[in-house]
Amino acid sequence: MVEGLAIGACYGLFATAVVIIYKTSEVVNFAQGEMAMFSSFVAFHILSAYQYPFWLAFVITMLFSILLGILIEFLFLRPAKHPSILGMIVITLGAEMFLMGLASWKWGAEQKFFSLPLNPSVTYEPVKGMIITNWAIAVFAVTACIMLFLYIFFKFTRLGVAMRATQQNKHAAKIMGIRTERIFSFAWGFSSLIGAVAGMFFASRATLDPAFMMEPFLRAFAAAVLGGLMSIPGVIIGGALMGLIENFFGYFWPHWKPIIAFIVIILVLCLRPSGLFTKHYVKKV
Amino acid sequence: MDMKRDYYEDVQLFKSNVVLFWSAALLLVLFTIPLYTPNYYIYLFNIIMVHIILAVGLNILVGSTGQISLGHAGFFAIGAYGTVLMMTTFQLPFVLAILIAAFIAAFFGFILGLPALRLEGPYLAIVSLGFGLTIMHIIGGMDVFGGRMGVKVPPLDLGIKQLGISWILTTDFQKYYLILITTIIMVVGARNILKTRVGRSFVAIRDSDIAAEVIGVNLTIYKTLAFAVSAFYAGIAGGLFGFVLGFFDPFTFNMILSIIFLVMVVVGGLGTIAGGIMGAALITYLQYDLLKNIAEVPYFGALMVAVSKQWFTVVGLENFSSMAIGLIMIGIIIFEPLGMFGVWIRMKKYWMTWPF
Amino acid sequence: MFQKRMVVLWIAVWAVLCLAPAAQAAMPAGFDDNEIRIGQWGPQTGPAAPWGSVARGSKLLFDIVNEEGGIHGRKIKYFIRDDMYNPAQTVAVVKELVERQGVFAFVGGVGSATGMAVRDYLAAKKIAWIGPAAADKDFAFPLNPYLFASYPLYKDEGSILAKYIVEKLKMKKIGILYQNDAYGKDGLEGVKERLATYKMDLVAEIPVEPTEKDMASQVLRLKTAGAETVILYVMPTAAVITMKTAANVGFKPHWVASNTLSDYPLMFKITGGLWEGVITGALAETPDSKSPLMIKYREAAKRLAPEERWGVFYYAGIVFADPIVEALKKVGRNLSTEALLKALNSTKDHQTLGPKVNWTEKQHQGTDSVMIHKCGPNASYIMLQDWTTNDMATWKK
Repeated sequence: MVEGLAIGACYGLFATAVVIIYKTSEVVNFAQGEMAMFSSFVAFHILSAYQYPFWLAFVITMLFSILLGILIEFLFLRPAKHPSILGMIVITLGAEMFLMGLASWKWGAEQKFFSLPLNPSVTYEPVKGMIITNWAIAVFAVTACIMLFLYIFFKFTRLGVAMRATQQNKHAAKIMGIRTERIFSFAWGFSSLIGAVAGMFFASRATLDPAFMMEPFLRAFAAAVLGGLMSIPGVIIGGALMGLIENFFGYFWPHWKPIIAFIVIILVLCLRPSGLFTKHYVKKV
Repeated sequence: MDMKRDYYEDVQLFKSNVVLFWSAALLLVLFTIPLYTPNYYIYLFNIIMVHIILAVGLNILVGSTGQISLGHAGFFAIGAYGTVLMMTTFQLPFVLAILIAAFIAAFFGFILGLPALRLEGPYLAIVSLGFGLTIMHIIGGMDVFGGRMGVKVPPLDLGIKQLGISWILTTDFQKYYLILITTIIMVVGARNILKTRVGRSFVAIRDSDIAAEVIGVNLTIYKTLAFAVSAFYAGIAGGLFGFVLGFFDPFTFNMILSIIFLVMVVVGGLGTIAGGIMGAALITYLQYDLLKNIAEVPYFGALMVAVSKQWFTVVGLENFSSMAIGLIMIGIIIFEPLGMFGVWIRMKKYWMTWPF
Repeated sequence: MFQKRMVVLWIAVWAVLCLAPAAQAAMPAGFDDNEIRIGQWGPQTGPAAPWGSVARGSKLLFDIVNEEGGIHGRKIKYFIRDDMYNPAQTVAVVKELVERQGVFAFVGGVGSATGMAVRDYLAAKKIAWIGPAAADKDFAFPLNPYLFASYPLYKDEGSILAKYIVEKLKMKKIGILYQNDAYGKDGLEGVKERLATYKMDLVAEIPVEPTEKDMASQVLRLKTAGAETVILYVMPTAAVITMKTAANVGFKPHWVASNTLSDYPLMFKITGGLWEGVITGALAETPDSKSPLMIKYREAAKRLAPEERWGVFYYAGIVFADPIVEALKKVGRNLSTEALLKALNSTKDHQTLGPKVNWTEKQHQGTDSVMIHKCGPNASYIMLQDWTTNDMATWKK
């Protein structure tokens, strides 16, 4: 159960990255998974090739991931003139293929070992039958920190308010003196950073290879949609639900595990078309 | 010069004799391609044409009606599996089998169209994606469909077994003509759909579904119809695809394929027939032929191997093609938001007004 | 006026159509006086790219053969084509090789579905295909005169592993985690068949979908069933996740795995050392084996392909490809497909790094033997059981 919740929190964390970009620019970023994959590979490279201590490597990777996000936004998305939403999605898909090709070219396709400085065998058992691993604790802690930070950020800082303004009406925000382009770069950098953190969690759980973020990305995207794509707490809850559903059904019907979450989401969306945690907004003509 | 004076001019297949001439020339080229093209390209042409059928159908949904689908590999699979099953278990002739399979796909399209009445954008994308995954999972989990081991495709018999007529197509050449004719029929059909009342309703829904409803377009009918038509196209394409391949398993129709289909449509140009055709042709060609075996290219290959040895890994060099495809996709959208169709329009304008 | 034109047009089109079949060009021959062209497909990119080393391993063998002067004066020209593990791409690359490059024979080729997609095409074109790098019953049964399989079937392997578990390890409660496709199900079938002879049953059979990335619930099921031994018929990534999850929840059974997981250095590294003590089936001798052939190939690899890791699947490429070299040597200078097939059909107890391979005109499944290895400390190989045939193999009768 806890394991399912932890996986769910991880999905949620990653979904947050998707949502941050969606919130500012209404683009679903399909390159998100590969951006996280690439950053994790950079961390792996720093760790294995230069033997830096983990925390130093972590900081460097974080900086790199911000740079990667900004770079992709700047090089690929910004030059597009009058882009349609679908056009933007295709651009992110192109970026995904590019990053995936580059990573497999650089590091080869063989699986790599990636671990966080956590002892995997240390577990706690507060209640009988409920096992909590270090990994799960780390996921919960990091997710909580990031949530808190995001809450304060969007509520109280100038930049956060500017980001919300940009999301609500890009042109009005521009008129009010917000440099919306800079906001976009910032959103991409930020989302790439959160994605990289989530990516490292996934990598330490499984293995690191160029295709390892594909499934988590789909799950995270679904979790984001379940939560409503607009509200960050909603997304985390969506992710947690996703993890719980999957593990609950996976235990009884392992055969249907990969799709059960999607079926639940389809049913939920039929009842609540905008996800669980957003108000259904009324479209104007 | 593109002014239309009456309705009949708009629905006319060939707008002028010039268009007629070039269409005829194009047809002639298409029909004679096997005469001067090496054999191994015919297979590629077949795949391209199958993808064209699908992309044209998907474009009706995505480009003209403004609904997004990430589940078209599912319809594609229904077409493929349906056709083969109809032919093996029920002993139906090919034409009937593929039509029934396509109608089954259309029925599923209709079902997927129901949630689409309330959903849009990313929400619809996730639902359709979930649909595609579910279809693949069900097919993979059931032994009727050969499970994950895949199914072997029976010989492509155009005749009717029960009447003792048999006309088996074996080579890629023969299949080429069958697929070419089907493609032409489907493309012309799509054009007719878009130019008539139904097509205009689709476009009205894309531009604003509420406004469309106000002026009297029945949203329930037309939205589900768009899904059904698009799924029908995917079903036909799937049925043909099975025979091009000869063998397939559920993994052939994975989620990535759905995304690739969407890419074809957007890169080609949303909402136009020509866009679907060009996008399908380009993306398929890029995937199957461009920059493959890069180490065997003279000079450039050696250079790339040297670069790989220095900074990258030689074993991953093949990934260069994936990088190139990604960049081409990005480039097209950045420089021409209308996709390849936009490029075509520009070229046409340039030559029509030429010395000026 | 309009109608008339259309009629003329159609007549022209049909006229051309009738002429078309005459234009089919002849296929280039697969060899000439100086070279024999051999091809292989394999995933060099995409999700299955780690298996791509098989195709590159075969390259090493052909490079060695060429260095020694080729076969009866002919060098081998070897083509590797990337198919991304996608049958549609496999058909494309195989047609390209056959019809443009003119390939005499194919060796190896990773994947069942990819192989099945081209099996009939190759047979129709009368091109020999030796040693597919996948165990699929449909390759050798029913007999296909152009296809020679040398990969021990997973069913046989499962049977041998189960025998070892029951008789040597004395385990009673056996669980299995299998991938829900031909690979996993064949293994499952073999295990079950063997256990039936001991009047035993599996305590848990848990299917895993190929793309699964979260094994928590599956591991929990195995734990609740109280399995002492867990047999793994899954992909490397799934195995890693399973091991890590199991370690987390304090579940420590004996792990036994199929030969697809026998690349110890890789598995040891990506599980963070958890792989130690795992028993697997094996396709070929241990990589540090002292047999003269192994030493020869190992040294050659250091010289000719220094960037490659000397892993099990890399030199499995050699195992799959060497029967054709042997057969070509036997045929001599007068080469033809028929002669090659004849030579291959008389392959008897051919053994290099892999199991003994026997092919006759009536039997093209070359072997049913696997070794059993165990992963020691620091990913070293410990041999537990030498080549063992499956006494229950049904296909031999």
